[in-house]
Amino acid sequence: MEAGSLSAMSLGHVTLPSAISEALALTLISQGAEAQIYLSLEHPFIPSAHLAGTISETNTKPGAGYILKYRPPKRYRHSALDAQLTKHRTLSEARILYKLFLAGISVPQFIAVDPRQGLIWMENIDGQSLKEWIWTQETEIEERYDDAGEEGPAQKRVDIIRPLLLAVGNEIAKLHFLETVHGDLTTSNILLRDCSRVRADGVTVSNKEPVIIDFGLAQQSTLPEDKAVDLYVLERAFISTHPIHSEEYVKWVLQGYVAGFGRGKKSAVFRVNEIMRKLDAVRLRGRKRSMVG
Amino acid sequence: MPSKQEPVIKSRPSRPTVAIGLEGSANKLGVGIIRHFPAPVSGGGPRPPAEILANIRHTYITPAGQGFLPRDTANHHRSFVVKLVKEALKQSGLAPADIDCVCFTQGPGMGAPLQSVAIAARTISMMWNKPLVGVNHCVGHIEMGREITGATNPVVLYVSGGNTQVIAYSHHRYRIFGETLDIAVGNCLDRFARTLQIPNDPSPGYNIELLAKKGKHYVELPYTVKGMDVSMSGILAYIDGIANDILNGNPHYAQDQDGSNEQITKEDLCFSLQETIFAMLVEITERAMAHVGSQQVLIVGGVGSNERLQQMMAIMARDRGGQVYATDERFCIDNGIMIAHAGLLAYQTGFTTALKDSVCTQRFRTDEVYIAWRDD
Repeated sequence: MEAGSLSAMSLGHVTLPSAISEALALTLISQGAEAQIYLSLEHPFIPSAHLAGTISETNTKPGAGYILKYRPPKRYRHSALDAQLTKHRTLSEARILYKLFLAGISVPQFIAVDPRQGLIWMENIDGQSLKEWIWTQETEIEERYDDAGEEGPAQKRVDIIRPLLLAVGNEIAKLHFLETVHGDLTTSNILLRDCSRVRADGVTVSNKEPVIIDFGLAQQSTLPEDKAVDLYVLERAFISTHPIHSEEYVKWVLQGYVAGFGRGKKSAVFRVNEIMRKLDAVRLRGRKRSMVG
Repeated sequence: MPSKQEPVIKSRPSRPTVAIGLEGSANKLGVGIIRHFPAPVSGGGPRPPAEILANIRHTYITPAGQGFLPRDTANHHRSFVVKLVKEALKQSGLAPADIDCVCFTQGPGMGAPLQSVAIAARTISMMWNKPLVGVNHCVGHIEMGREITGATNPVVLYVSGGNTQVIAYSHHRYRIFGETLDIAVGNCLDRFARTLQIPNDPSPGYNIELLAKKGKHYVELPYTVKGMDVSMSGILAYIDGIANDILNGNPHYAQDQDGSNEQITKEDLCFSLQETIFAMLVEITERAMAHVGSQQVLIVGGVGSNERLQQMMAIMARDRGGQVYATDERFCIDNGIMIAHAGLLAYQTGFTTALKDSVCTQRFRTDEVYIAWRDD
């Protein structure tokens, strides 16, 4: 099947292995520097599958589909190096994704991997990114509550945005508690999955659950420094994409992080304080090396 | 997106302006003289291309197996600067009175060489009674690259013996997107050349390039890209280890598909080192391009004259529907003309460096310079 083309930047020569592209209908939905993301509505090898357990019983959406992440060969690299890198990175990402899912962290469910071909199958998360959601909420809040003075919008942000950002911090804390760093935490790499449920009184409560995606740069690390850098990258992402209220947002994320780290166990408190201290140091640093001739 | 190259400047000169530039941050001493023409008054368009009146360089080359030390390098620069300035003036056919400003590399670079050239610049500026303009070495490379190639708003890969950065322009600054976490890529190559006792004439990197062309077997080396950054010291340590083994009579063998177990030669090592570190550079450049949404890549700095790097970058850029821009060794390798050019651009916005501010600094980040002459 053909891949959709995405603007002038689509890689003309890159094609999926034919065994895959001929068997399934795939749509190219995103293209980064390293990988392409395809969407398939069919499960790669279980024709009648739909993922159970991720969506509540009262709200079974027909499957949001499945994501195929493909790392194509890079022609500028020596072929031996290229094969090595593709295999290693694909496998590393798949392992981390699987481990996190098993540990109960909110990430896409891992389905299958083919390291040599650079392919990873995982569940698709049907939902907008945190970045888009914040933009939408901010606009709505400004429009609706502007006449209530300064407190109006601010309070609305506390009511609407804060709970979600606390949840985001919470998820990241779970990730770090497992000695894993994401490597590329931005508000585009956090998706919001709808999990509405019907209350006892029949009212549908729509709820959003943050899902962390894209573990292409993720690594195992026990160092508080690496976790602090992970948080700092997210902080910088907030500052550059949501500059007006970024300070507030980052504060809430970190609140959720500290509260959720190790679920408040005493041993965890020591670790999370260490990470916060490192974060202060990383902020001051900001730059990596200075220029020496 | 980027419209014209030249901003509307309040006190824009209506006549051509000339600058002399002195460069000496590493082992290359360069003097250049450049002339800028004003943009056409009617119709308003970009200014005409600059005219290069002189571009002379003298390089301090050490014997094979040795690097250049600050004190000796400074000594070399002191010995040659007067001669080069005189020669440059003669080539340009100008007299000191015709020069508008004296530009010099204020940093970054090696301390003693920077200082010796700065002293020469200050002296000339006082003798000729012309304003002084301190220039950031990296900005010099970037601006010269843009001028020569015509690239409007590229992602810049700046790679030399002293620097390795991926830069993109945004809001009057050349912002560093990715860089080396320890040593520069040229430094890695130069030091490996020393391990293998490769001659430094004309430059160790060039000789490694020649040997690499004869290499056959790819030796697996550590590959260290960390997000948008790279790290070279581990690769150097590893490949130095293999090289020393071979030099001490403990050969390594290739593990090829065809089962042949030929001995690894120094050509193979040069080849493998280039393939690995250049792949890393192309990868972080590609990341920056994807992040910024740019289709152009400009390679500047001494290592940019390596043909294999240019070739790899071209393949990557073409696959993305983009284009690579590179200059030849006159402008890639440290030179005085890029300093004169960047200095003159700054001078035309009213920038000069007072004597008390003309202290050199080894640590001069590329994004510290306010790029007043661009309005995009």
